[in-house]
Amino acid sequence: MGGESIITISEKQDWRDIVHRCFRCGYCKFTHEYSDFNCPSYKKFRFETYSTGGRLWLIYGIISGEIQWSENLANVIYACPTCGNCIENCRFEKFNDFLIDIIEVARAEAVKNGFCPERQKALLERTENTEYYNPYGEKNSDNTELKKKFDLPDKAEWVYYIGCTSNYRQQNLRDATLRFLKKAKIDFTLIDEHCCCSPIIRTGQIKPVNDFINYNVAQIKNVGATKIITSCAGCYRTIKKDWLKFGADYDFEVFHTVELVKQLLDEDQLKIKSEYKNTVTYHDPCHLGRHMGMYEIPREVYKKIPGIKLAEMRRNRENAWCCGAGGGVKIGYPEWSVEISQERLEEAKETGASVISSVCPFCRTNLSDANEKYNMEVEVIDLIEILDKLDIEINK
Amino acid sequence: MNLDKIMTNLEEIVGKDFASNKAEDLYIYSQDPGASEPRPVNFVVMPKNVEEVQKIVKLANAEKIPLVPMGGGLTLSGLVIPVKGGIVIDMKRMNNIIEINKFSKYALIETGVTTGQLLSHLNENYPNLQPPVPDAPPSATVAGNVLIHGSGYLSQKYGDHGAMINGLEVVLPNGDICKLGSASLSPFWFARGPIPDLIGLFISSFGTMGIITKLSIQLFDKSKFREVVFGLLNDPKDIPNILLKITETGLAEDVLLGMQDKPDWMKGYIFVIVYVTGESEEEIDSHIKTFKRVYRKANARYMKTPDRVRNIYLEKPIFAATAADYRKGGGFEYVGANMPLEKIPEAYKKGAEISKKYGIVPTLGSRLIGGTHNIVMFFSYSFNRADPKDMENARNALHETNKLALELGGIPWKAELTGQQLILEKMDPNYKKLFNSIRNSLDPNRIMNPGNWEVNQ
Repeated sequence: MGGESIITISEKQDWRDIVHRCFRCGYCKFTHEYSDFNCPSYKKFRFETYSTGGRLWLIYGIISGEIQWSENLANVIYACPTCGNCIENCRFEKFNDFLIDIIEVARAEAVKNGFCPERQKALLERTENTEYYNPYGEKNSDNTELKKKFDLPDKAEWVYYIGCTSNYRQQNLRDATLRFLKKAKIDFTLIDEHCCCSPIIRTGQIKPVNDFINYNVAQIKNVGATKIITSCAGCYRTIKKDWLKFGADYDFEVFHTVELVKQLLDEDQLKIKSEYKNTVTYHDPCHLGRHMGMYEIPREVYKKIPGIKLAEMRRNRENAWCCGAGGGVKIGYPEWSVEISQERLEEAKETGASVISSVCPFCRTNLSDANEKYNMEVEVIDLIEILDKLDIEINK
Repeated sequence: MNLDKIMTNLEEIVGKDFASNKAEDLYIYSQDPGASEPRPVNFVVMPKNVEEVQKIVKLANAEKIPLVPMGGGLTLSGLVIPVKGGIVIDMKRMNNIIEINKFSKYALIETGVTTGQLLSHLNENYPNLQPPVPDAPPSATVAGNVLIHGSGYLSQKYGDHGAMINGLEVVLPNGDICKLGSASLSPFWFARGPIPDLIGLFISSFGTMGIITKLSIQLFDKSKFREVVFGLLNDPKDIPNILLKITETGLAEDVLLGMQDKPDWMKGYIFVIVYVTGESEEEIDSHIKTFKRVYRKANARYMKTPDRVRNIYLEKPIFAATAADYRKGGGFEYVGANMPLEKIPEAYKKGAEISKKYGIVPTLGSRLIGGTHNIVMFFSYSFNRADPKDMENARNALHETNKLALELGGIPWKAELTGQQLILEKMDPNYKKLFNSIRNSLDPNRIMNPGNWEVNQ
């Protein structure tokens, strides 16, 4: 590829020695029991090229010089929501863990070679813009007003890391989280946060990532916090996994809101006193499930809500069908992205549920977009929003 | 030949999303996971129905451009990599399971249905029925497997998977649609005859006779319990005797043999793996006792199976592709050769010698097909995909093994191009003449996977 390749140096791992280990056997396309194609990209495009195996062979072709970067090639590398189904189903141990990393590094290589697709470029342009610091191109909220509104201190044990999607697109979810943390008497505050960098890491636009991480870590340290909590599965994955991968120096603990709720319920500090009389199906966010291995905690919380009937979709937990928003697909392929969510909503309806709920603002956004576009008539709501509707009592 | 015009025509037939001449698609379809060298492809198309297939065939005839039908693309021997360029027809969008007939016990499916899809569909909806399953990954298509005389689960009891075909719908090289088997005169796809049996023309002919669009495959009753009984043999010369004694019991659903030098604890043994089934645990226990006796009397000993190993062998399909990771190199290919039982000991001995000669850890195996009527031998060679010399080394080992199989009276299975030529060199000239005249009659323009089974005129 000429010059120093990101593929060989940036991740402290010699990718040349592992990419070709893909045999292209195709397990990565399926659910565990082969009931369906569970790779959104392969299911949509159907050429072998669009399976994870196809991508890895293309990446090997780039490394070996057999093929060259082109707009079309970059398009194949980017047409993947990095949902992690391939990681779950690839049978080659100690290789399967790297599949998403390999795709993300290849995207970084595409960026380096000038082949980042135009739509995905906007994520970096907006995030780097000093007026925004977020991928939505919204004026940066330093969260001062929110701190005032919710009477939050300057120093605290916890930081609620809101995340860009909650702060700029799912403010009801954000406010529900803020109200819950207040009710739960958590000693928390907010920081002037900049993007966690999930969207730009997922799309290989990694140049400013360390600066953003350093800034956010400094902000968190400045308020004296030892714990970070977020309601966003994407931020959770990024802070807990990617920041460390990028060499972040922090020793605070990272929690998803659902973990705190579960802990409070288990310790009888939280009592839910009213009922939520609905049949609900839980959608596993890829960034919380396959990427972080958290499947049961959200389910245990839902089950403790009085009146709720929890129904499982055909594909759940490790087998869950992606919502289609991740990996830069929402911005890069907006129509396909909501088609993926439409399939999830259809599956939700098969269960008899009237509500599909998740614990990720990004999933919530995309499922809601599909719900509206295709008139699916399912209620899409986050767990924290459900709790916000209920009468809860905190005994601390 | 106007390639731009062909591209436009293909897009008109299947839609823009499912016809490609993009470099990255052609790169992927120009190679398979085996050791064959890449060969160029001009187009890839994915038809959705038989009418689209017909139109593609008619276009190929008009333009005299080669057509290569493809299923899962997992033969490993390069059978769906075009030899003379042309159009690869990836059949996997034709993936409807049309009918499961629980009385006559068959599945009528389109050719893009994968073995994983059919297995899962039956497990969920017809738990008492099971399909034949090859040792290939679940992304292999049912059609791809049966149309190469595939074998795998249920082969010892019911024969090779090609023998389980009840009927085919074929688009012939002139674009005609032809139904074969009972479906040619009945709404039921329940049997192959009794009419002149032309189905065999389409098995192991590697797409040279037409494009299969539908097929009926036999299904079988599934017992409640299934278990593996492992035995250990020291000397390959005892193999024929133990296999005869195993099959005499009439109790084995499947029988596998395996021999490999790594890990070290496996070296020096031939592993005998018998699958037994039953309606109760007591019945299974009784079968296990029977095979313990059989092993004792045949110079073998019973091996208590660790759960980890047991689970590997009870999985359907078995993860045979693990061989691709033996050397962390992403590649393996094997000579599968159908052999007569009496030559199996020699095949093990000489196969191991070939492996050692090429510096590859000996990894050999066998599967019984229809009792001891036929044994498929596997001579497996792992290689490092990133090392062209290592791939060449594997190709040389494969070629020498093909020669060995033929010398021993066997027949290489789904042979790559060079293996096909070795077979043709040895084949009765009138067999070749008959084959070629049928092929020329069906495909005068020689558009169907040319380069395969090329009989020198």
